[in-house]
Amino acid sequence: MRLVLRLLGRHLRSGELNLLVLGLTVAVATVSGIALFVDRLQQAILTESTAFIGGDRILTAPDPVSQDWLAAASRFGLSVSRSVRTPSMAMAGDRMLLVSVHAVDSAYPLKGSLRVADAAFGADSAVSEGPAPGSIWVESRVLGALGVGIGEPLQIGARSLEVTRVLVTEPQLGGGYLSLGPRAMMALDDLEASGLVQPGSRIEYRYFVAGEPQNLAEFDAWLAPKLEAVHRWVGLEEGRPEVADAIGRAERFLLLGGSLGVLLAGVAVALAGRRFSENQLNDVAIMKTFGATSSRVLRLYLGLLGAVALLSIGLGLLLGGLVQAGFAALLANYLPSRLPAPGWMPLMLGAFTGMVCLLGFAVPPMVRLHRLAPLRVLRRELAPVPISGWLTYGSAAGAAFLLMWTYSRSWTLTAALFAGATLALVASGGVSALLLLGGRAIGMQAGSLWRLAFAGLRRRARSNLLQILVFAVALMLLLILVLVRTALLEAWKNQVPADAPNHFAVNIAADEVTGFQMLLRDLGIKPEPLFPVVRGRITAVNDESAIDRIGPEDTGYGIDRELSLTWSAKLPTENRVIEGRWWDPSPEGAEVSLEREFAQRYGLQVDDRLRLAVADTEVEARVASIRELNWDSMRPNFYVVAAPGVLDRHAATYLTSFFLAPDEKLLLNDLVRAFPAVSVVEIDAIVRQVQQIVQQVTQAIELVMVLILSAGVLVLFASVRASMDEREREAALLRTLGARRRLIIGSLLTEFTVLGGIAGVLAAAATEVALRMLYSQVFQIGYQPVYWVWLAGPAVGALGIGGLGWWSARSVVQTPPGVVLRGYTN
Amino acid sequence: MPDILRSNPPILACSNLCKVVSTSAGDLTILDDVTFEVGAGQSLAVVGMSGSGKSTLLGLLAGLDEASSGSISLDGADLTALDEEQRAELRGAKVGFVFQSFQLLPGLTALENVMLPRELTGKAAPRATAESLLDRVGLGDRMHHYPRQLSGGEQQRVALARAFACEPKVLFADEPTGNLDTHTGAKVVELMFDLNRDAGTTLVLVTHDDVLAQRCTRRIELAGGRLVGPTEVG
Repeated sequence: MRLVLRLLGRHLRSGELNLLVLGLTVAVATVSGIALFVDRLQQAILTESTAFIGGDRILTAPDPVSQDWLAAASRFGLSVSRSVRTPSMAMAGDRMLLVSVHAVDSAYPLKGSLRVADAAFGADSAVSEGPAPGSIWVESRVLGALGVGIGEPLQIGARSLEVTRVLVTEPQLGGGYLSLGPRAMMALDDLEASGLVQPGSRIEYRYFVAGEPQNLAEFDAWLAPKLEAVHRWVGLEEGRPEVADAIGRAERFLLLGGSLGVLLAGVAVALAGRRFSENQLNDVAIMKTFGATSSRVLRLYLGLLGAVALLSIGLGLLLGGLVQAGFAALLANYLPSRLPAPGWMPLMLGAFTGMVCLLGFAVPPMVRLHRLAPLRVLRRELAPVPISGWLTYGSAAGAAFLLMWTYSRSWTLTAALFAGATLALVASGGVSALLLLGGRAIGMQAGSLWRLAFAGLRRRARSNLLQILVFAVALMLLLILVLVRTALLEAWKNQVPADAPNHFAVNIAADEVTGFQMLLRDLGIKPEPLFPVVRGRITAVNDESAIDRIGPEDTGYGIDRELSLTWSAKLPTENRVIEGRWWDPSPEGAEVSLEREFAQRYGLQVDDRLRLAVADTEVEARVASIRELNWDSMRPNFYVVAAPGVLDRHAATYLTSFFLAPDEKLLLNDLVRAFPAVSVVEIDAIVRQVQQIVQQVTQAIELVMVLILSAGVLVLFASVRASMDEREREAALLRTLGARRRLIIGSLLTEFTVLGGIAGVLAAAATEVALRMLYSQVFQIGYQPVYWVWLAGPAVGALGIGGLGWWSARSVVQTPPGVVLRGYTN
Repeated sequence: MPDILRSNPPILACSNLCKVVSTSAGDLTILDDVTFEVGAGQSLAVVGMSGSGKSTLLGLLAGLDEASSGSISLDGADLTALDEEQRAELRGAKVGFVFQSFQLLPGLTALENVMLPRELTGKAAPRATAESLLDRVGLGDRMHHYPRQLSGGEQQRVALARAFACEPKVLFADEPTGNLDTHTGAKVVELMFDLNRDAGTTLVLVTHDDVLAQRCTRRIELAGGRLVGPTEVG
């Protein structure tokens, strides 16, 4: 052990271990840095996101739930808040307006905050609890419509309440468009006196729950068997699918970035390990000559690597901490003001990465050392024991796969990157074989720059194979990162553009449609497509009653719930058929199309027959297709779309969406006055929040990209440097024999430019393969071939690697040849 | 057999030693039926032209390589019956080396190079022994220099100190002056014989240098892989 430590000290001092320590440290720092940051960001975004729905979970029910349930939630260490939602007439003098009343207790909201103002359309600020008993908060346009001001009374049912504030936003549950009319918020304590709760009134009881994930999971499990079809138990994913979608994609990108970082670091460690083992061949031979046994040599070097691991992991974790602190500081303006402290898992992940990198990438080339024949001290030309190809590539592939999977927990992501890298590997082998096929040129061909360069390429075909592979994999990872980032940001920008519809108008009667659209046009509001809506239920699937078909336990939300059904001849925008076919040009009988997650949740498949109950009639329809749609597009989305002719005979109301800038909100009063029956659902706050999240995450993505790009350049640089030893010796010899600087620099530049160019072509091909899988399977973005990659790959490869080669070559000719040659004759 | 051999029991002996390597042009015999003995405390010079098999013989005698046939005994141990692991232990315990190209570890200082054999074999006081040996070879003030900072003669003195670090019974030297000028070479040789005498080590020396060979108590000559001429006593 003491010898190991002493050797470590000596090798560190002499600089032989620097590259290996650096590679491992960078690996650990990259992974732990990104993981720590992502961990904090996830926690922060999750905290922010649960603010969208006012708690971690919401239970909705048409009747009050058992007190036992609430007691149980408290017992599981969760906090609970209760509220009641119901539509009601608000009266001021002789004016009346249908409002959506939300009566809340003092604990509401458990997560997030309410935004209120002191005057209609005035500047808003956040408050953490609802109105006190005796008071009511209403939206600005209620004040306008009823002609009341702050401090004046408003009649809700039998109770007169004082308007104390203007309600701007509150956490809300998406999905069903239940909130009819502008919102009003009052204290739950006033509800009874108002007399709004009567048999037959349309009431929704809401129970908000918040707490630690572990406690939530336990409560989930406790509650699931007790839920009935009328109950809805939702978390963020269910409650606000568009927010969950945006966050999910961002997380996947950061994980992709991290996985690429791990791969790059692995390549660096493999290169450094290989180089170190080459340098140790002679040392080991001498040690063996002086009596070191094979097992002793093996133990010595494994011990040395162990010590290197400990050192690098320590340094890497420290550096990772700094990296994430830097991230947080750089992004301070875009992040929530208080980031939660990171957990321990990212640090464990960093340490694990360091160990696996070392075992998978650095140990295999070291293992051959102990088999070295000591006779090498007498006969330098004695070929060293070759590195086992299977051991090296096998363990590297195994380690890469393990690391990527550990990091991303996604088989598809791992498989996509792996497919790309494998393609690069196989193609590199082919190219190298082609280089060899030309036959070895006689001599160095030092007569001209070009011939010297190409003779070098051929002579070193074997080591060039490895180099091309490293270049190609590094370039591929960098190309993937840049392309995915660009596509992702582009997709987001298109999905939630600045003028994305942020209001829904529902309940438009058939005979009001034309008038409503004309009014929108008159008000200068751009109209979006209209969808007919009828409310209905699925009562049977393939002739079996649907009552028993309950979704997964955590939703507790039966298939026979009331759904908004629509019909359309054309596939709605942002929808994609992933199974079956759309009825274009005409349906074959009664057909419906289902949303993917909805179908999955209830185990529905193409060709299933559904019985739909609408009003008093029932109709049977075949599932013709399964659609995938982007929830974060903020457009009206439907779980069930019917073909024309299935539901048309039922009286439908219509639904549309439109965009209103914040200063145009008063126009809503004109709309509501002209069409009192129409309900406007304001989702502008949600749209704004989604845009905000996207912006935060965009910044994080850019930073991660810069970090990984720098790591990639470092790997390329290390790879060029590692291959310089042999070239350096040759160059020194040539210079001794009178070669001019220009010849040597020029030939090295040419050699590396050609290597880089070839690697670039391979990288472009591998990128194409990996991206196809990543886009469709991981990010759900439509794949568009990016033709410029085929130009950029080779160009970046040739210029970048040629440049690095040129830079390294300069130092080769600046060192006197004597020093180089003496260094090797020692 | 000369008297001197009878008075010293053999510490190193080989009989019918052969080394054959296969090449693309067929088998190549490098050593052919070599037999001799060396008594403890003797010094033996192996001379011959380039390619005569001198270095191969040295490698075999020191247990760095395996013979095709024949036997070698070193201090009573039959080298041909040992595997590489056991030969390594034997080398660590009984053998020292000096090479033409010095073979110092470039990443280690002079002191660390000399400490290494004792560290590897787990012997006591590596540092103190190394310091005293470096003092002995006149490099007490250069202990912390790296090989590249030392001249050829100095590097070979470090190698000498290292060779004696484990108090070997037999010292093998492969052209120890081959890379040095005459003057420096003579000083290194002087030092080597002094150390050899002080430690009572047996010396086996491969050389081209007649003057150096003359200083040994015995001399054998190889030609085309076979022992030629009479065994001389210097």
